[in-house]
Amino acid sequence: MPTPYELPPPAVGPGGQRPVRRMVRPVQGRHLAGVCAGLAEHLNLEVRHVRLAFILASLGGGAGVVAYLFLWALTPQALDTTPVTSADAVAASRPAHESVRNLMVGLGLLVVGGVLWAQQQGVNLRLGVTIPILAVAGGAVLAWSKLDDAERERWLVGDMGFEGRRAGLVRLGIGITFASVGLVVLATQGLGLAGLWSVGIAAVAVLAGAALIAAPWGVRLWNDLRVEQAQRIRETERADIAAHLHDSVLQTLALIQRKSGDPAEVVRLARSQERELRGWLYAGPVGSQASLASAVTEVAHEVEDLHGIPIELVVTGDRTLDAGGTALVRAMREALLNAVRHGAPPVSVYVEVGSERVEAFVRDHGPGFNLAEVAQDRLGVRESVLGRMSRHGGSAGVRRLENGTEVSLSLPVTVPDAVGASETLTRPDTEGTR
Amino acid sequence: MTAPASPHNRSIRLVLVDDHRMFRSGVKAELDESMVIVGEAADVDSAIVVVAQTRPDVVLLDVHLPGGNGNGGSDVITGSGGVTSESGEPVRFLALSVSDAAVDVIAVIRAGARGYVTKTINGPDLTDAIRRVADGDAVFSPRLAGFVLDAFGAAAGEVAVIDEELDRLSAREREVMRLIARGYQYKEVAKELFISIKTVETHVSSVLRKLQLSSRHELTAWAVGRHLL
Repeated sequence: MPTPYELPPPAVGPGGQRPVRRMVRPVQGRHLAGVCAGLAEHLNLEVRHVRLAFILASLGGGAGVVAYLFLWALTPQALDTTPVTSADAVAASRPAHESVRNLMVGLGLLVVGGVLWAQQQGVNLRLGVTIPILAVAGGAVLAWSKLDDAERERWLVGDMGFEGRRAGLVRLGIGITFASVGLVVLATQGLGLAGLWSVGIAAVAVLAGAALIAAPWGVRLWNDLRVEQAQRIRETERADIAAHLHDSVLQTLALIQRKSGDPAEVVRLARSQERELRGWLYAGPVGSQASLASAVTEVAHEVEDLHGIPIELVVTGDRTLDAGGTALVRAMREALLNAVRHGAPPVSVYVEVGSERVEAFVRDHGPGFNLAEVAQDRLGVRESVLGRMSRHGGSAGVRRLENGTEVSLSLPVTVPDAVGASETLTRPDTEGTR
Repeated sequence: MTAPASPHNRSIRLVLVDDHRMFRSGVKAELDESMVIVGEAADVDSAIVVVAQTRPDVVLLDVHLPGGNGNGGSDVITGSGGVTSESGEPVRFLALSVSDAAVDVIAVIRAGARGYVTKTINGPDLTDAIRRVADGDAVFSPRLAGFVLDAFGAAAGEVAVIDEELDRLSAREREVMRLIARGYQYKEVAKELFISIKTVETHVSSVLRKLQLSSRHELTAWAVGRHLL
């Protein structure tokens, strides 16, 4: 059954048209921002070679640094598809952040030292221009790295929380301040402190005006984007649901119309369709099939389908399916088959998976039978239910109620499964007879 | 079905709230003549108005309804708080649903419904359930009993030391819930445990109260863990 939770298979097959591959920066295995790793991945080169090339290019006039920053700003970060809890992500990224910080401080000291040394040697570095430019660049890097983090944080599961958001905002603020101070200083070359003030105020006024004018437009753009995103998600969901309804409900309705002369068959079809639809709507992603609860459910549905008699099933708790559990499920199936064949509806099943033992009760409302009256050579109840349970360290009982019969099965949870291995799932079951 | 515990000669005034007209007419056809349907509604807002105007004994309430704050049946119960029937009793709600989603059922019970049955219930059983609710008793389907055992950790063996404890079931309540989950009627439960039907009803009502008042976080966390939220 296709569920809306399953991921569609990759659309590209071998020989099919490949989509344009975009370069991305991986989160794992990176030293700084993942540019080298991403580039190596994109160009099918060794990461070491790419890194070496960047370092060499940086030493020769700083071209490597510029290229690195350029690529970093323009390349999106890879979406981390492995399920990482936010705590893990934080833990993993912390050492990287620390090393980056150390590296930055070292680089800064080196640059300052180099500049001082050059000054002493009498080289005119035109500090009045270089320092503001550096400030602008530094501010931009700070602000952009914030953008990068925000993006990553959004794709990982966790919220950043108030603390993280505040730290991010502070960083953004510092970056913007750096950049604007640098720009202002650059623009006021040669003017005095007073001139700097007036230019600064003018710049702030212009910025404020621009922000005021652009704000409504920006907000609308943002809202449009979100609406569009929501709409796309909704459309995908609707297509999923339509496809599912077509495959299941419409087919069943057509079948019911064709078989309208056979009430039992119509009931059976309606019942199994109801169950399937219910499972699709509420059960969510199909979990491990090796759980006791799912095995019990499967068996109950199978019997219901075979005989067209509704079975009320209640299961509480769950555990993994071991040999003992398999035996219990098979004994329960036998009891259920007896109930729908010889008993009368309503048939109800209650399975309780406790911490010490698993109990199952199968109840019908038929005339009932007495175990002592069942002939010795009839294998149904005696062998398939009672014998099987005792072989696996459990017990079984049949009770005759005023109104119906109840078969109860009980199995301790920690049972040494020495016998259990002999009974495999493929063994054909003896059909129950009384 | 079980014979009523006490004589019920009085007729019960009933309001049907369901957004499917076909279902409403089906229910009307199935109920016996002692049930008087005094009103019908198809959404939350009209349901609140109808309940306030007609002052019924019992409201048969679909869990999923359009309108209101989007919480379906729970909104009707909240919106009808304090309304009494003509005999002065509070109006009682019996939730009815096609959905087995625990979160829906528990939400409507916690809003104040006196019981929950599935829509596949047959006529006599439904009549009986309505009578019970009208008498102030609680109605638990096997599935709801299973939910309760799971949500209170009773299936795993957690049992309250004192009966008043809200976050666990007492040993006796657990027994009653287990029997209901096994498909036993109240009468059969009583016979099995050697107690009167009235005592069974008391136990069920007490479980209902715990379900409504308990702050046990499993009641919500459990639904999340089962991908029901």
